[in-house]
Amino acid sequence: MYWHKALSLFLWITPHVLLGVLAVVLCRRRLYREFPVFFAYVLYEIAEFILLFALYSILGVGKQYGYAYCATLLLSIALRFGVIDEVSKSLFRESQFLKVVARRSLQCVGGLLLVMGVLLAVYAPGDNSARWYAGVLVVNRGAAMIQCGLLLALLLFSRFLGLSWPRSAFGIALGLGVLTSVDLAMFALRAAFTSDVAADFLDLLITGTYLVCVSIWIGYLRAPEREPAASLTVIPHDEVDTWNTELQHLLKD
Amino acid sequence: MEYGVATLTQGLISAWILAAVAFFALGILVYVAIRSRTSRVDLERTVQAFRSLDIEAFRNLVDSAEEAFLRNHLSPKKFREIKRQRAWAALLYAWEAGRAAVALAKIGQAAQRSLDPEIVASGVEVTENAFRLRLQTVRVSLRLLTEVLLPGLSSRSLPPLADQYERAAETLFRLGRFPSGRHGLIPR
Repeated sequence: MYWHKALSLFLWITPHVLLGVLAVVLCRRRLYREFPVFFAYVLYEIAEFILLFALYSILGVGKQYGYAYCATLLLSIALRFGVIDEVSKSLFRESQFLKVVARRSLQCVGGLLLVMGVLLAVYAPGDNSARWYAGVLVVNRGAAMIQCGLLLALLLFSRFLGLSWPRSAFGIALGLGVLTSVDLAMFALRAAFTSDVAADFLDLLITGTYLVCVSIWIGYLRAPEREPAASLTVIPHDEVDTWNTELQHLLKD
Repeated sequence: MEYGVATLTQGLISAWILAAVAFFALGILVYVAIRSRTSRVDLERTVQAFRSLDIEAFRNLVDSAEEAFLRNHLSPKKFREIKRQRAWAALLYAWEAGRAAVALAKIGQAAQRSLDPEIVASGVEVTENAFRLRLQTVRVSLRLLTEVLLPGLSSRSLPPLADQYERAAETLFRLGRFPSGRHGLIPR
C-alpha cells in the first residue's frame, strides 16, 4: 500500500502548494481588494493545512488530529458561505435592479436549501449518533448541499437573464461549485460505505477534486478580464443603418 | 436482522440518490462553464430576435377589449377554444420576447465594456431594461399558461410586457446612436 500513501500525500500537499501560488496571483493582480473573503479563505486553507500536516507528522491520525480537523472544517464551511456571498455581489454589482431582485430570490433559494440541508442531516444515511465527529461530517454534507445549490442557482439565474460573469468571479464560483458538489457526493457515499478500502478511495477522490478546483481558480484568476467590446465602440455606420431598418421592420409591421 | 438489512438498503439507496443529485449538479456546472466559453455576443442574431417579434400582433392577442368582444359573440365552448389558441400564440410571443431580452442583455453588457462613456451609459440602460423585460416575460408566460389550461377564467390585465419590450427596444436603438426619429418608430 506504499503507492496509496504516496498518492494520498501528493494529493494532499500539491493543492496547498498551489494555493500559495494562487495567493500570489491574488496579490499581484490586486484581486484581494475585490475578493477579500476569498483571499482570506485561501490563506486560511494554507494555514489549516500546515496545522493538520504538522499534527499528522508528529502525532499521526489521533484524537487531537480529529479535533483539529473538525474545528478547521467548520470555519472553512463558514468562509465558503462568505465567498459565495462575495461572488454574488460581484455578479450583480452593475445592475441596481438585479441587486434587489436577484438577492431576494437567492435568499428564498437559500432558505429552501437550508430546510433541505437540515432534513438531510436528520434523515439521510450515515452515523447519526451523538458522536461529535459523525455530527460534524453530517453538518459538512448539509452545508455542501446548500452551497452547491446556491452556486447552481447563481449560474442558472445568470444564464436565464443573459448576465455575463466577470471572469474571476466565474472561476471562483466554478471551482467552489465543483468542490461542493463532489464533497456532497463523496460524503454521502462515505456515510453508506464504511469499509476502510472505500473510505481510502473516496478520500483520494476528495483530495483529487480539490487539486482540480485549485487549478480552476488559478487558471481563471490568472487570465485577463475580457477586452472592451471593440465592435461596439466603433459601430460601422452601415451596420447602424441595418439596425435601423430591422427595428423599423419590427416596430412598423 | 430483517430490520437491519432493510435499514442498510435504505441507507445505500439514499446515498446513491444524493450522489446522483450531486453529480447532476456537477454536470450542469461543467456544461455552463463550457457554454460560457463558447458563447459570443451576436449582433446579427439580436436583430433577428427583435424582428421575429410582432409587437402589435402580441398586443392584439392579449387585448382585453378583443376578448370581451369574442366572449359576447361566441358560444362559451367556441370562446374557450379560441381563447386557448390565442393564449398559446401569445405565450410563444412572450417566449420569443424573453429570448430577445437575453440577447439584448448580452449586447448591453458588451457595450458596458466599451471605452466610450456614452456607449457605456447606453449599455447600462439597455441591460437594465433587458433584465426587466426578461422577468416580465416570465410573469406573462405563467399567466398565459394558466389561461391555456383554464380558458374559462376571466383574465386579469397582463403585466405591461409590450410596453417593457418597447422601452428595451428604444434603449437598444439609442445604443445604435440614432439621434432622431426613434420616437416615430415606436407605434402607439
